[in-house]
Amino acid sequence: MIETIYIEKKIKNHPRTKFILKKFKKARVLEIDKYAEIFNKRNQNFRIQKANPDLILAHKNDGFVLPAPEGFGIGSSENFYFSHMYNCIYDCRYCFLQGMFSSANYVIFVNFEDFDTSIKNVINKNINSKITFFSGYDCDSLALENVTGFAKHILPLFQQYPEVDIEFRTKSIQREPFMSIEPMKNVIMAYSLMPDLMSSSLDNKVPSISKRIQVISDLALRGWKIGLRFDPLIHGEDWKSLYENLLEKVYNSIPLESIHSVSVGPLRFPKKMFKDILKLYPDEPLFTSPLASSKGVVSYDEKIEEEMSSFCKNLTLKYLDNSQIFRCYA
Amino acid sequence: MIKNNFLKKTSVRWVVALKEEAEVILDNYKMVLVNEKTLYPIYKNVEETHWLTLSGIGRHNSAASTSYLYTISKASKWTSWINVGIAGSGKGDYGNIYLVDKIFNQNANTTYPATMPKSNLSKMTLLTTDIPITDYSSKELIDMEGSAFFDIASKLTTKEFICIMKIVSDGPSNDIKQLNKLKIIQLVKSNLSKISEVISYYEKLSENENQIRAKPYIFYKISSNWHFSVTQRTQLENLLRRLRVFCGNDDIMELIKQCENSSFVINALNNKIKGNKVNWSDV
Ligand code: SF4
Repeated sequence: MIETIYIEKKIKNHPRTKFILKKFKKARVLEIDKYAEIFNKRNQNFRIQKANPDLILAHKNDGFVLPAPEGFGIGSSENFYFSHMYNCIYDCRYCFLQGMFSSANYVIFVNFEDFDTSIKNVINKNINSKITFFSGYDCDSLALENVTGFAKHILPLFQQYPEVDIEFRTKSIQREPFMSIEPMKNVIMAYSLMPDLMSSSLDNKVPSISKRIQVISDLALRGWKIGLRFDPLIHGEDWKSLYENLLEKVYNSIPLESIHSVSVGPLRFPKKMFKDILKLYPDEPLFTSPLASSKGVVSYDEKIEEEMSSFCKNLTLKYLDNSQIFRCYA
Repeated sequence: MIKNNFLKKTSVRWVVALKEEAEVILDNYKMVLVNEKTLYPIYKNVEETHWLTLSGIGRHNSAASTSYLYTISKASKWTSWINVGIAGSGKGDYGNIYLVDKIFNQNANTTYPATMPKSNLSKMTLLTTDIPITDYSSKELIDMEGSAFFDIASKLTTKEFICIMKIVSDGPSNDIKQLNKLKIIQLVKSNLSKISEVISYYEKLSENENQIRAKPYIFYKISSNWHFSVTQRTQLENLLRRLRVFCGNDDIMELIKQCENSSFVINALNNKIKGNKVNWSDV
């Protein structure tokens, strides 16, 4: 339940602002000059805000499309991301957003058309390369789709560029607009998954793994291409059998020909971010794992990372081709 | 004893302009005057969980008394800071109490409190002025202290711990000239249960945060037995925070009892974490 909505004066009459406001009729609306007045100011507490976040509607001025961090790709030579939103309605304990922002309020940028222009510019500049765009790096790309309508807005643009891929990475069970439109060959519906036992402890407020698998299966049957993201890989007692059960379940629930790619990614935090997150959640069992700091990154030690990645990769190879499997290091 | 320890973790500081605004609150939270001779009158309860200062009128007084209270009461970073008082209003109903969610002053500085308690109280914006204003028909709430209180308090804690509540005492149809001490006391009294409800949220907030942020008890024991550098103390604190989730204090002491120096202690604790496999079915 959103109690307060802050709106930048500049976009108070924007049709998308009005569209979003209609969904929160009871919320108190306050006009602001810049979203930075509220968001990510110093002296805020992410954990406390997360219990009752407000919504900010804003205009993004620049940085619409950015190069994806190295190690984030799934086979293209050029990878970019864009975020129409900051923050997420879910609350995963390993999420880097909790270390990146000091505010947990949701920011939605309503000027989607400026994203369109930037995306087209990037495509035109990289006309000879294979490009993948990742939607929602600073948020979950679909979790608030029924409020923002961003995917519905952006899909027609990618219909014009069938050779350019777009990935929607999500943990949501959002089906629309995908069930209502014709599947597109250049769209990857990517789902982050981990064994149920770990997910129920770490993926707070997120739909269960079985619900996610059900949606994946429905979208696959409808003809959408699926990305499976075992990222981050979580260590613990019986991790092998937990991951084995998960992978077997997934590969036996969805048509294999619908799978575009699988990626496995280790759990990693920049050192400073880890310190900040640990301060927020010092009693979190995840942080009692054998995580250690090396070269400015906090992660499981290399042996564990390697063992877990190889294990998942080898299991996947029973079902898919090596060329479909990627290691994600971002 | 247990109760005392529990209460100590709650930490609330009140900044109130007038004695008549504070009277009912002082009674309710059983606060008494600390000392006649302080710069601003300061009150506290026996458990020292609630402290209150009378700031007097105006922004300078409010700012100065807030920092004064901070120093005198040794408030922690996770103390809740409350400003309650009467206010003029062109929009609110006489006698009603409002939570403030936007504060601005005549220098056009605007600030926004963060994450207010879930409450039935309505919210309003507050204009803090340096001179009394008589025409406030277009304003939601007007006072002479709020913005200064908020500016100083937000240097002492994070914004989620600061709350301003205002009771409408005068407006277009309630002349300020008719306001007297008795009426002010009555206005606060009639809103006391609503004030207490909001305060219990802030009590809990500071209590939770104090619990989360407090150094593990065993940290003091260990750091008095071995000599740790500043960096090592931070390492030690972080390791102990992680270890205490799955390891009792006695086990930790047993683990390090043979260690010759602080580096060995850090190593031993690090190795304990390295060997831990989280049992996800237990958490
Ligand atoms: S779904 Fe993704 S963005 Fe949202 S909280 Fe979880 S990790 Fe963060």
